[in-house]
Amino acid sequence: MDVGEMLETYFERLSEVSESERYKQCLQCGTCGGSCPYGIASPFTPRRMILALRAKLIDEILESGAQWLCTACYTCSYRCPSQIPLTDAIIPALRELSLLEGNPPEELAAALMNTARYGNPFRESPRKRDSWTKEVEFEVPLMSKKKEADVLFIPECFGAYHRRCREITKAFAEVMYLLGVDFAILGNEERCIGDLTRLCGEFGLFEDLMEKNIKTFEKYSFNRIVTHDAHAFNALKREYPKMGFEKEVLHHTQFLFENLDKLKDMFNELDYTVTYHDSCYVGRRNGIFEEPREVIKAIPGLRFVEMKRIRENALCCGGGGGGVWLDSFIRNFLKERPAEDRVREAASVGADVLVTACILDVPMFEDALKVTGLEGQLVVKDISELVLEAIR
Amino acid sequence: MKICAVLRVVPDLVEEIEIEETEIVPFAYIANERDEHAVEEALILKEKAGGSVDVLGVVDEDTASDVDEPLAMAYAKGADNLIKAILSRKTFRRYEVAKGLAEFLKDKGYDVIFTGIQAIDAFAGTLGGMLARCMNLPYIGGVVEVDVQNGTLVVKKELGGGLLGEYRVSTPAILGVVSAERPLKFVPFAKLKKAMKEANIDEVDIEVPEIEGIDVLRYYEPPKPEITLLEGDPEELAEKLVEVLKEVSVL
Repeated sequence: MDVGEMLETYFERLSEVSESERYKQCLQCGTCGGSCPYGIASPFTPRRMILALRAKLIDEILESGAQWLCTACYTCSYRCPSQIPLTDAIIPALRELSLLEGNPPEELAAALMNTARYGNPFRESPRKRDSWTKEVEFEVPLMSKKKEADVLFIPECFGAYHRRCREITKAFAEVMYLLGVDFAILGNEERCIGDLTRLCGEFGLFEDLMEKNIKTFEKYSFNRIVTHDAHAFNALKREYPKMGFEKEVLHHTQFLFENLDKLKDMFNELDYTVTYHDSCYVGRRNGIFEEPREVIKAIPGLRFVEMKRIRENALCCGGGGGGVWLDSFIRNFLKERPAEDRVREAASVGADVLVTACILDVPMFEDALKVTGLEGQLVVKDISELVLEAIR
Repeated sequence: MKICAVLRVVPDLVEEIEIEETEIVPFAYIANERDEHAVEEALILKEKAGGSVDVLGVVDEDTASDVDEPLAMAYAKGADNLIKAILSRKTFRRYEVAKGLAEFLKDKGYDVIFTGIQAIDAFAGTLGGMLARCMNLPYIGGVVEVDVQNGTLVVKKELGGGLLGEYRVSTPAILGVVSAERPLKFVPFAKLKKAMKEANIDEVDIEVPEIEGIDVLRYYEPPKPEITLLEGDPEELAEKLVEVLKEVSVL
């Protein structure tokens, strides 16, 4: 593609995202770059990207690789005084051009191709998606057998396949089981919800996943969806309605909070000092700040401490927006991962346990513990693992 | 330059494979990875030297549609013509397959024919060499890069042990590719779907004669070794372990 074609393709895509016209109102204030976890290393911060787009230097942005230096943490979009959809439009539309040119970072390319072929980024068999259910001592009902349930539980790809994240899936499923919730899963009929494909600019694949998933949802009767995957929650809540899907969607922190009275009667004492990490797509993007804190604080014996960067200002784990597939690419630009910075912060406030609520956080932070030498001093747990520990 | 790349499909090992007495039944097929690299290198050569790339999908009658998506992928990346060679065969003798393909290819006027050097379901990886023998053309395998210098092909070949060799190769020739000189080009989902709609695939039937003398008796997995878990405290365990090692004559 020459520069003219690139600009045409880019602005055509931009026009499909609501409020993307706002890029014309960019003040060049630099709040975005100053807020970005990679701002210090990026050759093109969002401010510079818009400046370069205005100067028709789109090819220079793409050649620099800056479009991949984004964890989609939403801090820039949240703080932008002109409310430009940087995370949802400006950057993914640039990424789409890289995909069309055929040269995205290799690990990411593999994850996207696997998602297209197998419905998950791990190159795992779609027919093994429900294999985690064989590792629990209670029955996890399948929608294909049950046909209707109050809650449709979506484990999503990490929760279904990633060895560490499956523990979180099992923990949350057990909490639901112990609460007597009427829930079921799609099992092997489930496929990637696709938020990371959208944020990576693979819009065609995202649309295909949405269409197929909605078709599967329509086969069954349920009242709402509950998921512990923050990105699945975000896409189901914000993107799927654009394709006509209108069921209530809850993040598991909201669901746990909703059941807090019942849980309080079941809680046993735990003896930890804990801190809570506001995951980007739970907190900043979707405004869920109090519910997880209320749940944690209700567990007797726990001492709750806050980190310095919390709520809207929380630091990203680095896994979102395809970041989990871009580690080696980003390492060319930056030597310390945001997750390493974050676990140091958690340790500095004296926490024994870093509690999270996004499924990507746990592997990202556990890797960071190994790198920073904090393994043994600090433990990372999803909120559902903490709750299960308290009610067992 | 008139270029051809051979593209085979192989069982997708991500999915399970059913092994029956006289048949191996894969759940799904996928493009052979080495052949994907052969297609990529063919497209790279086209970028360097100009010309056209034909991709020849090779399938059996029962896997005929499994090559459509890989062919469309090649089209989306810039291949010019797509051909599907459907083998009617009962025999699995690869030489006969090569002979059939050679018969089809011989009068097409290709300057270079690319194949992957191996496939996961064919240890020998001999298609390139056998095609060359049948067509009386030079063959070079282990290819990792192809250039055109002063009108002739200069091929980089992997020799093993980290060594590389450079060879001048006269055309027409057959090149066996290990890996293309750049990573496989990414094709976004929407572009692939568009290619699947637009791409025109010509079909040819290739008769492969049945060879007598070799019949499949059975397919089977090797028996799984018996595993015994030793339990007990360390001293007990050590004693049990010594006994076991004596039993198998290690001690």
